[in-house]
Amino acid sequence: MIVYLVKRLAVLLASTAVAGVVVFAFMALLPGDPAEIALGVNATPEAVAQLRQQYGTDRPPVTQFLDWFGGLVTGDFGTSYVTSSPIGPQIGERLAVTAVLVTGGMVIALLVAVPAGTFAAVHHRNPLGAAISAVSQVGIAIPAFLAGILLVFVFAVKAQALPSGGYVPMAEDPAQWLLSLLLPWLSLGLVQGAVLTRYVRSSVLDVMREDYLRTARAKGRGRMGALWRHGLRNASIPVVTVLGLQLATLLIGAVVVERVFVIPGLGDLLLNGVAGRDLLLVQGVVMVLVVAVLLINFVVDLAYAVLDPRLRGAP
Amino acid sequence: MKLLSVEGLSVRAGELELVREVSFAIAPGERVGLIGESGSGKSLTALSLMGLLPEGVSASGTAVLGGHRLLGVPEKRLKGLRGRTVSMVFQEPMTALNPLMRVGAQVSEVMTLHGRDRAAARARTLDLLDRVRLPHPAQIARAYPHQLSGGQRQRVMLAIALANEPDLLICDEPTTALDVTVQKQMLELIAEVAPALLFITHDLAVVASMCERVLVMYGGRVVESGPMREVFTRPRHRYTEGLLDASRLTPRGTRLPTIKGSVPSAGAFPEGCVFRNRCPHAGPRCETEPALTGEAHGYACWHPGD
Repeated sequence: MIVYLVKRLAVLLASTAVAGVVVFAFMALLPGDPAEIALGVNATPEAVAQLRQQYGTDRPPVTQFLDWFGGLVTGDFGTSYVTSSPIGPQIGERLAVTAVLVTGGMVIALLVAVPAGTFAAVHHRNPLGAAISAVSQVGIAIPAFLAGILLVFVFAVKAQALPSGGYVPMAEDPAQWLLSLLLPWLSLGLVQGAVLTRYVRSSVLDVMREDYLRTARAKGRGRMGALWRHGLRNASIPVVTVLGLQLATLLIGAVVVERVFVIPGLGDLLLNGVAGRDLLLVQGVVMVLVVAVLLINFVVDLAYAVLDPRLRGAP
Repeated sequence: MKLLSVEGLSVRAGELELVREVSFAIAPGERVGLIGESGSGKSLTALSLMGLLPEGVSASGTAVLGGHRLLGVPEKRLKGLRGRTVSMVFQEPMTALNPLMRVGAQVSEVMTLHGRDRAAARARTLDLLDRVRLPHPAQIARAYPHQLSGGQRQRVMLAIALANEPDLLICDEPTTALDVTVQKQMLELIAEVAPALLFITHDLAVVASMCERVLVMYGGRVVESGPMREVFTRPRHRYTEGLLDASRLTPRGTRLPTIKGSVPSAGAFPEGCVFRNRCPHAGPRCETEPALTGEAHGYACWHPGD
């Protein structure tokens, strides 16, 4: 178990370093010098050179990279060339919003998918089970932003029960905060829930055919009892894999949903950064998103080891 | 006095009749072998007694075990019998245990499920593991299935089956998946610990060493039944005869005797005698189905061997 943990941790750190190089290199390769952008087309070469020196972009790329990457470890993302404000606190603030959005979406997805998928598997021979499969199929075909727009139409425009957009910080008004997040959560969660339902269903169906479930019934458990006690944990292993991938998708999906609902999250910050040519900001946000995905994978690996004793001794 | 009596057991999957009118009985402490090729309906017969037939497959007829009816009874009642009055050991030990659960917990589960308290069940688990001759029971109890060999896992399955001292143990090819060296020990162990035994196998040598009485199944029917020694030395049904010939050691250089053709798939067996399309003695009479005749040694054949 310790060996497994150390190995996974080493993989995490190594991939973070590689990701840092790749993100930095991409940004460096992009045409456009921050100093030239800041000073406009009429700037004198002397002024540009001076600003470069001020930004530190005149230094060799390796030095710049080490300086930037070293800063990341302490949470220092540098200072924006465009707004001259430190990037770290902005990212931290926005990340908190996006994390809440994604976590809520995932919780809703799980609340939908686990019962619905299990039910569909147990009743796969009758119409109700088939109906759940059909509904989830429709859900898969709908992108999150469209689901968002539909939800806004129904709950905000027609029923006028929920706000159509905007974000109220929790510290300001907890009730309004919850209301402002409800539709974004649903639009992320229902779509991901539909996808996940199918995985849960097929995973539970596979497990239902396993010999050890028959053994459990031979011991005196009923069909559902055997599935509950011996099936669901086994069925959860492949689902966790999908869950990890989905969480990454959800993080990316949040970028779009934040636009639809005007939520000041990481996606919103990223798009603003791109629009304002704030290269260092974009670089920081992309790095944070990459690290988040790597962390999710790391947690998935740990979850395997917790769930499956066969992996604990393995490399 | 019968422990188990089965009358007219039929198993069907929709229109398809997979087991037809099977009747037999087992006395307390008796060891009965059920033999036949794959697809003859042996496993389905056993699973129907356990109430574990796969979805879409159903059994009819009567089966009574120690006063409890086993067929046409709600699942709720059967649950109380499975693992307590009747237990089963399956063919494939590698997949029969839950990979995520410690072995000890899987053994004690069958006891707590039938009302024993946790502490007592845990203590008895160690006794049971010892009884099926697993070394270091405490260590085995803490292990996960993947840490044990196939033979060890099958012993664990046997410990689970024996935990509540059932009246009848059903074994479905329990040694087929094991190494030959382990097979013999396993068989000896089963013979030693089994209360009454219904032993399913296609290995005639195994039946000969284990059982007092034998039922031969073909095409979902019992085609011959009787005392093991008698059936094996003087088979009456032509199928049993062929089976015995095929498993006899032949001198070097001679052709291996076989039964011609192969077992038809379910539903493709001929009308009348199910064996007639493979039987060298088949005649027009075989187009009508022969009944199982004879007292202690019964056979369903129009022109039995002698």
